[in-house]
This record gives sequence, C-alpha cells and structure tokens, in this order.
Amino acid sequence: MMRSPASTPNSAMPTLRQVLGRVHMRLILFAVLMAGATLTLTGVLVIRGYADRNLALIARTVAYTVEPALVFDDIAAVRHGIAAVAVSESVLQVDVRDPGGHVLMTWRRPGGGVMAAIERGISGLVAPSPALADVRRGDRLIAQVSVYGGAEGLGRFILSGLATALACLVLTLLATWTLARRLQRDVTEPLARIADVAHAVRADRQFDRRVPNSDIQEVDQLGRDFNALLDELRDWHRGMVSHNRMLERQATRDVLTGLGNRAMFEQTLPATIARADAADAPFAVIYVDVNRFKQVNDTHGHDAGDAMLIVIAARLRVVLRPDDLAFRLGGDEFALILAPGVTPDEIDAIKARIASGMNQPILLPNGESIEASLSVGSARYPHDSADARDLLRHADAAMYAAKPGRASTRDR
Amino acid sequence: MRALLFWLLLSMTSAVQAAPLIQPVMMPVGAGADAVAVSTARMVGAVLEYTRWPEPRSVIRLCLAGTPRHAGRLEDVQLASGAALQLSSLTVAGELPMGRCDALYIGRLDAALTRRLIMAAHGQPVVTIAEDDPNCRNGAMFCLLFAPRTLSFQLSIDAVSRSAVRIDPRVLRLSKGGY
Repeated sequence: MMRSPASTPNSAMPTLRQVLGRVHMRLILFAVLMAGATLTLTGVLVIRGYADRNLALIARTVAYTVEPALVFDDIAAVRHGIAAVAVSESVLQVDVRDPGGHVLMTWRRPGGGVMAAIERGISGLVAPSPALADVRRGDRLIAQVSVYGGAEGLGRFILSGLATALACLVLTLLATWTLARRLQRDVTEPLARIADVAHAVRADRQFDRRVPNSDIQEVDQLGRDFNALLDELRDWHRGMVSHNRMLERQATRDVLTGLGNRAMFEQTLPATIARADAADAPFAVIYVDVNRFKQVNDTHGHDAGDAMLIVIAARLRVVLRPDDLAFRLGGDEFALILAPGVTPDEIDAIKARIASGMNQPILLPNGESIEASLSVGSARYPHDSADARDLLRHADAAMYAAKPGRASTRDR
Repeated sequence: MRALLFWLLLSMTSAVQAAPLIQPVMMPVGAGADAVAVSTARMVGAVLEYTRWPEPRSVIRLCLAGTPRHAGRLEDVQLASGAALQLSSLTVAGELPMGRCDALYIGRLDAALTRRLIMAAHGQPVVTIAEDDPNCRNGAMFCLLFAPRTLSFQLSIDAVSRSAVRIDPRVLRLSKGGY
C-alpha cells in the first residue's frame, strides 16, 4: 500500500520499539550495575578480610620459624626459613628488623619485572598494610617481622568481576533486543493494524475495514472506539452520497414531468455522439413541440397546461425503446434521443407512434378534455450533420417545417 | 578452612625445602683475640635457650669437662628466660656427679672418658655439648664445628632421644646435615 507523503512518519522520531528498547536497556543496565557493584564491594571486603588474616598468619609463622636462626645469629638460615614459609603466592616481601628498627634482612618474591612492579603498585592501593609479628625469646624482643601481601587475589577477583560485568552487558543487550521484539509483537503490531485501517479509510475510502481485536486492554479499547467511529463515518458517508445523488437529480431532472431537463440533454448529447462514433452506429434526435399550447394556458389556466405537459411527457416515454431518452427542454418543447443503432425506418415508426399517441384527448383536472397535437422534427447523426449544434438546428428546422400553418407565429 | 589449606601448603613446602637446607647454621666469628670464645659462648647460650628441662631451671648449672679451649667467655651468657648460668668444673674427669649438672660442656678429653661421661648422662636431664669432636663420634647431643670464619654445630638426634631434656625441633634444621 502506497502512503502519501503527508502520512509518512518523521524518521527523526523514535519508534515505539526503540523507546521500549531504551527503557528496557536502562532498567536492566541499572539492575546489573547495582548487583555487580554490591557483589564486587562485598567480595572485595571479604577477600580483604581473608587476606588480612592470611598475612597475619604468615607473619606469625615466619616469626616462629626464623626465631632460632636469629638466636643462632645466622641470616642465611633466616632467609631459608622465610623462603620456606613465604612461598605462598600472596606474599610479596618480608622484612626482618631488629628491635632498634634496623633491617636485618629483606626477602622479596623472586621474579617479576614490570608485572611485579604493577602488582606492588596495586597492592599498595588495595592490599592490607603489612602484617607485623614480633619475634620473642622469653620476654625479650629479638626482632620484628613485616609481611607485605600481594594484590593477586584481589586483582583476579576484580578482573573476573569485570569480565562477568561484560558478559552481563552482552546478556543485557540480548535480553533488551528480545524483550523489545516481544513488546513490538504485543503492542506495536496492533497499533500498526489500527494505523493501516485508518490509512485505508482515509486514502481509499474503505469504510468497511475494521480493526481486529487485541490482547491488550487499552489497545483493544482503542480499536473498538476506532471501529465505532468508523461505523459513524460510514453512515455519514452514505447519507452524504445519497444527498449528493438527490441534489444531482434535482439539477438534471425536470420537476414537473420527471424527464431530463435541458442541462441533462446538453450533457447527454455529446456523450451519445461519442458513443455513436465509437460504435460507428447512427442515432437520431427528435424535437417535439406542442401546438397551440399558449392557447390552452390562456383558456384553461396554467394548471391545465401543466397537466397537459405531464400527460404528453408520459405518452412520449411510452413510445420510446428501452435505451432511448426523453427531455423537456423548457415550456412546451421536448427532445428525444434515439439510442445509437436506430434505423430510418424505426425513426419513422417512432414518429408515427408519437403522432398516434396524441389521438386520444387529454383529460384536464377540471374535468374537461382537450385535443392536443404535436409538431415533430428529426435529424439523424451523422447523416444530417456530424456537428451537435448543427444537428439540433436541423431537427428544429424539420419540426418547424412540420408545423401546421407554417406562416403562423410560434406559440410559446 | 583457609588456615588448614595454608598449613598443608606450608608443610608441603617445608618437606620440599628440607632437602636443600643441609647447609648448617653459620655463626659468624668476628675478629679479635677471643672472637672464637665469644662466638662459642653465644652458640652455647643459643643451645641452652632451646633446651627444655623436665622442670624449669632458675639456675642452669653448666659443668665443664676435660680441657675446654674456647670456654673463656661462657660466663657472659645471658639467657632470655632470665635463668642464671652457674659454671663449675668437674672434680673427677669422667665422673658425672648425679643431679649437679644441667648442661655438660666437654673440652679436650680422652674418648673413652668422654663416652663414659655421656653414657652416664643418658636418661638424665643433661644437655651435652662436645667442643672437640668434629665427627660427633662420641655420642654428645651437640658437637661444635669450628671453621676459620664461622662456627656451626652438628646435632645427634639419637643422643637427643636418649636424654631427658628436650630440644626445640626448630634447632634441628640449623644443625649440620639438617633433619
């Protein structure tokens, strides 16, 4: 169905589906972000707690392990002891200081390079501060152990959290797309059907189209109201059409006799000429004039004249064939169009029947009856003339030629 | 749970690390006339630190046997427990006076006499330290090993098991040969 430019929707405006999709996207995104942030925060706190306790435990273990080595004053043994304990990957560095604060030994996780530096930076930000443990022998403080934890656990957790969030985002997009599709099926399509019907009614005057039912209350109500509106529109349209038809009749019919009037004759004649040309069939025009009509009017009154015209019109109609047409051109003047295909013999026969139809006197409303006679003149197309105006003149002339007492004045 | 895991990991790595830990404790020996004596005193003090007697001792009686060469600074030993150190020399060489010694420092002495002394100490709460037995053949619990710049020791776990005193197991790892 072609839509006129006026009904083309503005492409800059979002469609209902886009609006719904956007709303869904925001909602799901908000939910995912909220859940993700909460879980990440909780997870970081829990893992930090574990890391804290783990570091404290490692610090205590280191202190316990290195104590004899310190007492025996062997730094190499201290290093071995630390290496044995701090092999857990969550330890980056272990410092051992004497009670005066001087560093006796520093152990660093071997390997590293750039990654180790980055890890150290992260751990400085998120990892717990170094866990401390005292090395005591009896009541005497021998040394203090500081254990610096790595951020690997937290880093891994945060990385996996980010990956999960990304996966959730992809899922969000998919879900939004699916939901928007479903909503479009449920909401947009019924609305589109209503729009289609509205367009069909507006563009093609298809007042019989109706909107189908919908599963959604509001849309269904809208469709129902729309259908009711269409019912009213259809009734109004029918009324208008019949009114137009009535007006048309009034414009083309003679009110008194019910025959076509001059305007209709002037429309019908060219149409008949066109039909005759197309079918290559001749037709004829007959002019009819009531003799001494003015006298009847003057003697018996206008009512009698009108009654006479009505009777004459009825008798003219009777002699016509089904496709022939009769017109009252005005006053006592009538015209007949004999449909294409008429032969000269038929024309003569019709003229004869017209004349014989007037043999019977006409009964007037006041009870009197009067004799009436007609003057009849015919012209054949294209035999007499191929021009409409000329054809009418020809018929008129023939009619006058047929009038009794040709010298007498025309009674009109 | 995590602590359990950690301990499992720790014990595993300790087992792995035990093999390369055969290097014994290396107590540095400084410069000076009696540097070796100072280090010896310190080593003996450390050994006494990690020795537990059936009843805690407020005074630890250290008996010297034979002819010690590096025992000159033993009276300087300070113990973290606060126990005082009481030095005495055995009156009769090769005779351990019962209940009068908590620790026995054996200097240069005839091997047979040394063995007798140590046999006498079996089952007694006496920790035995041999100064002049680098191969640890005579059955002392601790044998001091003198090197040019360092001092270390060897521990005989067999001797420890025959004694009534207990040695902190962490010290085992510092011994020559390791355990």
